[in-house]
Amino acid sequence: MSSEIEEAQDSNGTDAAQIISRTNDHSVTLGDDEIRHLNDAVCSLPSHAVKDLHSAGVCIRCIFRLFGIHDHAYFRSTLSPSVMCNILGEGDSSSSESNESELKPEVCRICLGILQFTYRDEKEMLVKRKNGDELAASIAELLRQEGHQIDGFSLEVSIPPIIFENEQAVRLYMKKKYGSEIWFQDRFSECISTKDALKFAIVNPLETILDVKSGPSSVRVRLTYTETKPSIKPSKSVDRNGGLKRRKTETNNGLDTVHVELVGNGTGCCNLSLGQGSPSSGRSSTGLAELESSECFNFPLERVNEPCHLVFVYYRAPMYFGGRYLKFSRNVSQTRWIIDDERMGEASIEEIIGGNILPMCQGESYKFHAAGREDIDVRMLGSGRPFLVEVQNARKVPSEALIKEIETRMNNLEGKLVGVKNLSLVTSHSWDLMREGEAEKQKQYCALVWISRPLEDEDLQCIASHKDLQILQRTPVRVLHRRSPLERGKMIHWMKTEQITGSSQYFLLHLCTQAGTYIKEFVHGDLGRTHPSIGSILRCRAEILQLDVTDVKMDCFLAE
Amino acid sequence: MNNEANNLEKSSARNNPTQNLDQELKEEVEGDEEEKLHELLLPDIRDLPTTPPSSVQTNFVSYFAPDFVKPGHDQYVYRHANGLCVIGLAPTHVAFKDEGGITAVDFNVGKSDRSGIKVTGKRKKNAQHFETNTALCKVCTQNDSYIVRCCVKGSLLEVNDRLIKHPELLNSSADREGYIAIIMPKPADWLKVKASLLGLEEYKKLREGS
Repeated sequence: MSSEIEEAQDSNGTDAAQIISRTNDHSVTLGDDEIRHLNDAVCSLPSHAVKDLHSAGVCIRCIFRLFGIHDHAYFRSTLSPSVMCNILGEGDSSSSESNESELKPEVCRICLGILQFTYRDEKEMLVKRKNGDELAASIAELLRQEGHQIDGFSLEVSIPPIIFENEQAVRLYMKKKYGSEIWFQDRFSECISTKDALKFAIVNPLETILDVKSGPSSVRVRLTYTETKPSIKPSKSVDRNGGLKRRKTETNNGLDTVHVELVGNGTGCCNLSLGQGSPSSGRSSTGLAELESSECFNFPLERVNEPCHLVFVYYRAPMYFGGRYLKFSRNVSQTRWIIDDERMGEASIEEIIGGNILPMCQGESYKFHAAGREDIDVRMLGSGRPFLVEVQNARKVPSEALIKEIETRMNNLEGKLVGVKNLSLVTSHSWDLMREGEAEKQKQYCALVWISRPLEDEDLQCIASHKDLQILQRTPVRVLHRRSPLERGKMIHWMKTEQITGSSQYFLLHLCTQAGTYIKEFVHGDLGRTHPSIGSILRCRAEILQLDVTDVKMDCFLAE
Repeated sequence: MNNEANNLEKSSARNNPTQNLDQELKEEVEGDEEEKLHELLLPDIRDLPTTPPSSVQTNFVSYFAPDFVKPGHDQYVYRHANGLCVIGLAPTHVAFKDEGGITAVDFNVGKSDRSGIKVTGKRKKNAQHFETNTALCKVCTQNDSYIVRCCVKGSLLEVNDRLIKHPELLNSSADREGYIAIIMPKPADWLKVKASLLGLEEYKKLREGS
């Protein structure tokens, strides 16, 4: 029998077509050798079983995978009519050209068109691709349109569970009918899953078109197939009570479609162990032995009029930027703060930093995290406070130079409200680094304090003498409305007074405290609810006018 | 062992002049940064008021309830921006006129001991809901005793139990450490009671010459 090598069909992406015709290894149509191999493989299949399956509405690629044929090329390439004839056997009146043309009208009853590269797109258009390369080209085109810059990708496929159920039903039928035949044990015990077969078909062409390798990557290409009309979902286990299941009919945009369902033939319960142990590796090893336990089976499968809906999604796992920020303004909050439609403060660190990082990597949205926070009227000085910006679905990975540029831009904003240091791309591990030991970290502050009597030398010594001073703080009145009323023990590690020339009642108080200490309340005493306080130590009234954070003692995001 | 390490370090520093220089540069940069930081921290005295407002004045709005229920029973209500109200004795309260001032405070009034309530959690579970004239505590002087009331309808979050051991706080600083209780009113309840309270200026005028 002659083998015809067909021209590579025109696909949508002209680039794709060019690349395909150039590569010899992964030709769209089978080369002579491959056709020979395929013929050999096919000849070894029991033709009566193959025809049986075919007339039951199972597509060729599903037949291949049911028989455990795992050569990627068979899944990827166009199966030309002559090749199909060969597979199905000549002289079979039911397999005349008109029925077995490549563009089969009938949707596979197991894979619902997935392995026939037929689907409904988001605009409800029926799409039929001839081979894996064409499908890959459609996917690649989408990525190109969205302007993604990638250096690798991870392919994810999601298919409706009913496909596996259908497959099980077919396998069970085969076992019942052909279980005793010689070839059955050898040829029919291992089945390749639909997902894997689809991946076989498109991974290599995708790699070629995108010019990157597939594998674990933060870039995810996701194909989600959904049934066009959902059937009843016995997803975990079928109703054990037996009897017929009620149909759920839905009219879907007026499409008169018949939904695929498992039709009980009324002889009792169906107890296929479904949805378990679907392995992600090559072969489905759900033993046929498990199928023994069911008393009835759901064969023949109903005709399928509608292939699945396919949605392509490309997304990148979140990208993380770490660094340290300084806050020079007493009118800038850390995070966006809006009350009754009015913004508190003139800006926020979160919006300044996030708002500059987001466009740099063309992301969709961002989340701002910081290691602790300071009040809006408190400046953050010194080495700065560690922060993390998480960017969702970035389109491009910014270069070091670009990152540096953005950092400089933020540091030179009008009003010099904010400073950013050590901005760089970091891994998600940094999240843990930042949170780790947060409660143990010490913080250093400088407070401008006023007392109700002149400062004396004794006072300076007195204050400096307190090392690791234990204080008890009741939840400050200013946060008591939203926090639990508790008494928290905190430690003031050291204190140092700095006199201010020209003033006897004002001074600078430098102190280093345990994380979580309320400094303002430690100075003014919060109506006596923080004890001891500066006021109680100096035995006078003490007030705090200004507060600055001068050091957040943490190891992360420091300069290299 | 340590000495050896030190000596090694020193000799390597000597042999490696660039390392020395790097170290010096680093320290210089650090010193510079510290100086810059210090500059930021130092205030300009000219901007500072001789007497700054107190934390109470800055963080609360003061209201007064003169002659609350009984004549001479003047109380204050400090309302924070977050809605919480601190209740206490105003300076013109009749109790302060007694010789010796206040000698004892007892929270065991009404149906329960107010100092025994434990309010927990963000939602303030177990907080008792009191009316404006519910008794909070009794303050005693040498010869008399006076009931202090809520003034504001709401949940009682806290009483100042320090007053039990240190009633003298009322004599020295009734407007701060001598506060009586903290109450959380519902917004609607606050609006109702606010109408009957006096602001600071009005109160001062009322009690002029007291």
